[in-house]
Amino acid sequence: MSMAGALAIWRRDMLVLRRSIMSEMIAVIAYPLTIYLAFGIGMQGYIGLVEGIPYSMFIAPGLITMTAVNAAYSESVWSLWFHRRVQFTIESYRVTPVTVSGIVCAKLFSGFTHGLVKGIAVGLVISLITPFRFPPAHLAVYLLFLIPGSVLFSCAGVISGTLMDKPETIGRVEAVFIMPLIFMSGLFFPLSSYPQVIIPIVRSLPTTALFEGARQALVSGNVSFGFLILLYTTALSAFIAAVWIFRRKMAE
Amino acid sequence: MTAAITTRSLAKRYGNLTALDEFDLEVTRGGIFGLLGPNGAGKTTLIRILTTLMRPTSGTACIEGFDTASHSREIRRLIGVVPQENSLDRYLTARENLELHARLHEMPVTSYRKRIDELLELFGLAGRQNDFPDSYSGGMQRRLVVARALVHHPRILFLDEPTTGLDPQSRHAVWDYVKSIAGSMTIFLTTHYLEEADQLCERIAIMDHGKLITQGSATELKERLTGGALYEIEFGGNADAFAATLGNLSCIRKLTLEGNRATIELEHWECLSALVAALAGNEIRRISLKERTLEEVFISLTGKGVRE
Ligand SMILES: Nc1ncnc2c1ncn2[C@@H]1O[C@H](COP(=O)(O)OP(=O)(O)OP(=O)(O)O)[C@@H](O)[C@H]1O
Ligand SMILES: [Mg+2]
Repeated sequence: MSMAGALAIWRRDMLVLRRSIMSEMIAVIAYPLTIYLAFGIGMQGYIGLVEGIPYSMFIAPGLITMTAVNAAYSESVWSLWFHRRVQFTIESYRVTPVTVSGIVCAKLFSGFTHGLVKGIAVGLVISLITPFRFPPAHLAVYLLFLIPGSVLFSCAGVISGTLMDKPETIGRVEAVFIMPLIFMSGLFFPLSSYPQVIIPIVRSLPTTALFEGARQALVSGNVSFGFLILLYTTALSAFIAAVWIFRRKMAE
Repeated sequence: MTAAITTRSLAKRYGNLTALDEFDLEVTRGGIFGLLGPNGAGKTTLIRILTTLMRPTSGTACIEGFDTASHSREIRRLIGVVPQENSLDRYLTARENLELHARLHEMPVTSYRKRIDELLELFGLAGRQNDFPDSYSGGMQRRLVVARALVHHPRILFLDEPTTGLDPQSRHAVWDYVKSIAGSMTIFLTTHYLEEADQLCERIAIMDHGKLITQGSATELKERLTGGALYEIEFGGNADAFAATLGNLSCIRKLTLEGNRATIELEHWECLSALVAALAGNEIRRISLKERTLEEVFISLTGKGVRE
């Protein structure tokens, strides 16, 4: 794999991100912030404490995580699709010495960086309007979850963007898989709300490992090693799958 | 000497459709080689295989002695590609498009800066280098794609229909640029335009339905069409009156009469004096030699006009 070529593609994506970040930020922040204000503040009085903490604090980590992984997924899926089907830029890369693995790794890393940048931005905004302060140690543990989470969603985006030729399919996958998975993974309610029989199933989802694990890390500084292992193995498998699927598609 | 491009029994099938069929071609180094063929002939398929974007179903293709199947990376260092569809990055300025390409070729900053300046100047884009390609005309975009393909000093330049969709002026501009860079490298271009092949290419191959039909220089191809010379005679009156006289001449290979005009194909041009003698005393307004065009070669070989 050529590092120089992959780095060139990633730098290109970062240049484009730098140019659009300011105009994009409002849209990136608006969605989680609306949810935060409506549920965290508006409904707080009705909900009270959840797992011993105020509801607004309960959902804050999940909203940051959601923003990051959504951004990672969207960037990867649209970028892959757009560069492959609309601009044919992937083809222009492929007649240079950069390898196919180099291209897909660059795109994965770009999706991941988008997720991280946007997640951090939302985190900053939420911390501005709430009285809670998370200790730096908690933030560091939280990143242990957020990083593989963003990688996982970026890989999912690369896979979707590689396999899907029509833009409407991309929207459908987002509505049918991505959003339900995020919402069911304990973003808005504790896992204990599920019927007993379902809990083990929900706990085995990598998205649960991400959202539950990330919240525990941020709120209490606890690291759930079970969740961490599940998340890292899934992210690694997704990475291998993404590279393999992209290479196969390119060899057609 | 190694040829720039060699293909042996190259074939590509998409399901049941054979896009490339037992294709054997050899392109020597240097000069401009033109591949002419109607829509769907298989030109893009061939270029995609030669530029390592696609694997053939069977057969081999070599670029500068490197097999496309096993040495694609080496090949990609040597080639510049102008695809049929512009593949510019619309989120990067013209200059950034070229810079990205240089980095993908692992060129050091110091050398690509200068090279990009030169190319932008050569292609008349220096003044607009910080604009995005979306704001360019079709001709400018095409020139930018050609410039991008040249950044890393390729040894072989592939151009897939470089001027399709351009107006005559832009087309001539692209031709001038292509001519100006020829000599330092091998240029392989595909086109529908016979005029383009005639103007630019030292050697021309004609293909249809995935098969190579013929190749040679433009002059050779025109000569091969028919050994005879074609003349057109315009009479003062109806040409039918001369049918008998002309029909008696043994050296006329083919005769077509239409209105006051006769189109005559002679065995060879020496028969012209006999023809003029036979017609002496009649009112003849004009005798002209009809130039063969590549279009005729094309039609006689593929059985149809060029579909643009
Ligand atoms: N990906 C594909 N899947 C199936 N058939 C294809 C594919 N690409 C090309 N073809 C078919 O292969 C044949 C050759 O196509 P190709 O694009 O190589 O022709 P071309 O000579 O470049 O035509 P044009 O002048 O229109 O660009 C056509 O019949 C085309 O329909
Ligand atoms: Mg074509």
